Amino acid sequence: MTGFMTLEIRRALRDVRYLVLAVAMPIGLYLLFAGLFGSRGQTAQGLPQPTELMVAMVAYGAMWAVFSATGPRIAHERAIGWTRQLRVTPLSAPSALAGKLVTALAAALPAMALVALTAVISHHVQLSAAQWPAVLAAMWAGVLPLALLGLAIGYLAGDEVAFPLTMALYFALGALGGLWMPLSTMPHAMQDIAQFLPSNAVAELGWRITGGQAPVPRAVLVLAAWTLGSGLAALLAYRRRNTLAVR
Amino acid sequence: MASVGTDPSPAAQPEQERVQRACEARPAVRAAGLAKSYGSTVALAGLDLQVAAGEMVALLGPNGAGKSTAIGVLLGLLSPDAGQARVNGRPPSQAVASGLVGAMLQDAGLMPGVRVGELLAMVRGLYPRPLPFDDLVGMADLGSLLARRADRLSGGQAQRVRFAAAIAGDPLLLVLDEPTAAMDVQARRSFWRQIHGFAGRGRTVLFATHYLHEADDAADRVVVIAAGRKIADGPPAAIKTRFGDRQVRFTLVQGAPAQLAALDGVRAVEHDHARVTLHSVDIDATVRSLVNSGLAWSDLEVGGLDLETSFLRLLGEQP
Repeated sequence: MTGFMTLEIRRALRDVRYLVLAVAMPIGLYLLFAGLFGSRGQTAQGLPQPTELMVAMVAYGAMWAVFSATGPRIAHERAIGWTRQLRVTPLSAPSALAGKLVTALAAALPAMALVALTAVISHHVQLSAAQWPAVLAAMWAGVLPLALLGLAIGYLAGDEVAFPLTMALYFALGALGGLWMPLSTMPHAMQDIAQFLPSNAVAELGWRITGGQAPVPRAVLVLAAWTLGSGLAALLAYRRRNTLAVR
Repeated sequence: MASVGTDPSPAAQPEQERVQRACEARPAVRAAGLAKSYGSTVALAGLDLQVAAGEMVALLGPNGAGKSTAIGVLLGLLSPDAGQARVNGRPPSQAVASGLVGAMLQDAGLMPGVRVGELLAMVRGLYPRPLPFDDLVGMADLGSLLARRADRLSGGQAQRVRFAAAIAGDPLLLVLDEPTAAMDVQARRSFWRQIHGFAGRGRTVLFATHYLHEADDAADRVVVIAAGRKIADGPPAAIKTRFGDRQVRFTLVQGAPAQLAALDGVRAVEHDHARVTLHSVDIDATVRSLVNSGLAWSDLEVGGLDLETSFLRLLGEQP
């Protein structure tokens, strides 16, 4: 089981799609946006611009990290028959599923840390010794529902659909969740939608903590609801595949 | 665990004894009355199957006979609608979970994005008593492939890696579903040599195939299934006589048709005006005696092994 998990993690971390979309792109976007708007001082939320952007890009990178390690990967493994081959080894089906979830969460950590490191080096973002672990831990826990959503997609969607689908979700959740531009610049209707998106809730946790405030209950509730819903969907999708057992 | 190669060494003795004891205790595979349908399609219709420990058994049948479904049930991937399967005395899924079974499934892929060596090390780690890594690499002839990406191999190379993954846990029972489907003759030959190398260590092998000659070459015993049932079970030679129908066709120019049935190896004679089809159980003998018969004939054709026809004939003979 540990051998399986470490190989899964190693493989997730050297996946080109992961490196480009979960690591390079958030860092690139951070440098771009912080370069453009970094000197504008305080944001509407009362945070220094580079700090607010850092949180948004940490959320963005973490989101693709958990998606890339689940949805497209699992759908592909089902399509090529690796999932079936693994089922005729002593690795239990629940262990395989747990391995996927742990891998997804493990892949999120380097993506998050590297964006933060970029922000510190390029724009001298400063947080207290307590804020750093708090913000990273809260946001890390916050991507759990997205990892579960990725699992559900992986067990439901076909190989050709899974990648574009997670990709579309990644962009939509990023844009609508206020990770690309502040919510305050968006129309009211879109702001209302954003309130219920896990992407916004993850960033909200980060913005609150970096601003020295306690997380709002709304963000926590939204994430809890998504965890429940995605977790259920993942479990049902997985059970369906395992009882049909053909793929 | 003792290190075991293809040649029994003194160090291998305790391992051989352990296998021997496990073999004598219970049959490797015992299935009774297996039934499975997908909607209105019947895949298994009361299949019985026994494999003794240490045996090499071929499951022979045409496409759609139920071979893959039977194997799915024996590996715990499918649950039968009726009947019971036991592998080493346990329900199949338990036998798989205990690491007693290794399998090469049809169209089963390899983990993408890792090297062959990494993959095999991981698979070994899933089993309680894996083969020593170097023995595994030697048995599957993978020395030159260990650093290659598992998802960038040729068909034959991938098949060797899949074979290695199947035996990595040193299973008592190895199950192979049409293992040579995508191989050329050369690859096929060396593949069966590797299988025999593994089986020679007292292991049980059950393989599905739709090639009669492959069953004939490799197996100790052949179980023929069609339409989800067992229709024959016996040593390869007996099965070959019953199913190995080949045909000689020619136009009879001159001679008594009555002579035809008396030619060597002829099982049946069909006439379509002057065009004659001889069904033969020994094609070489039939052609030889035809040449020496003094009959005048033209347009000779020798037809290949027609397993489908044989199956249909046998199914027709079933009560």
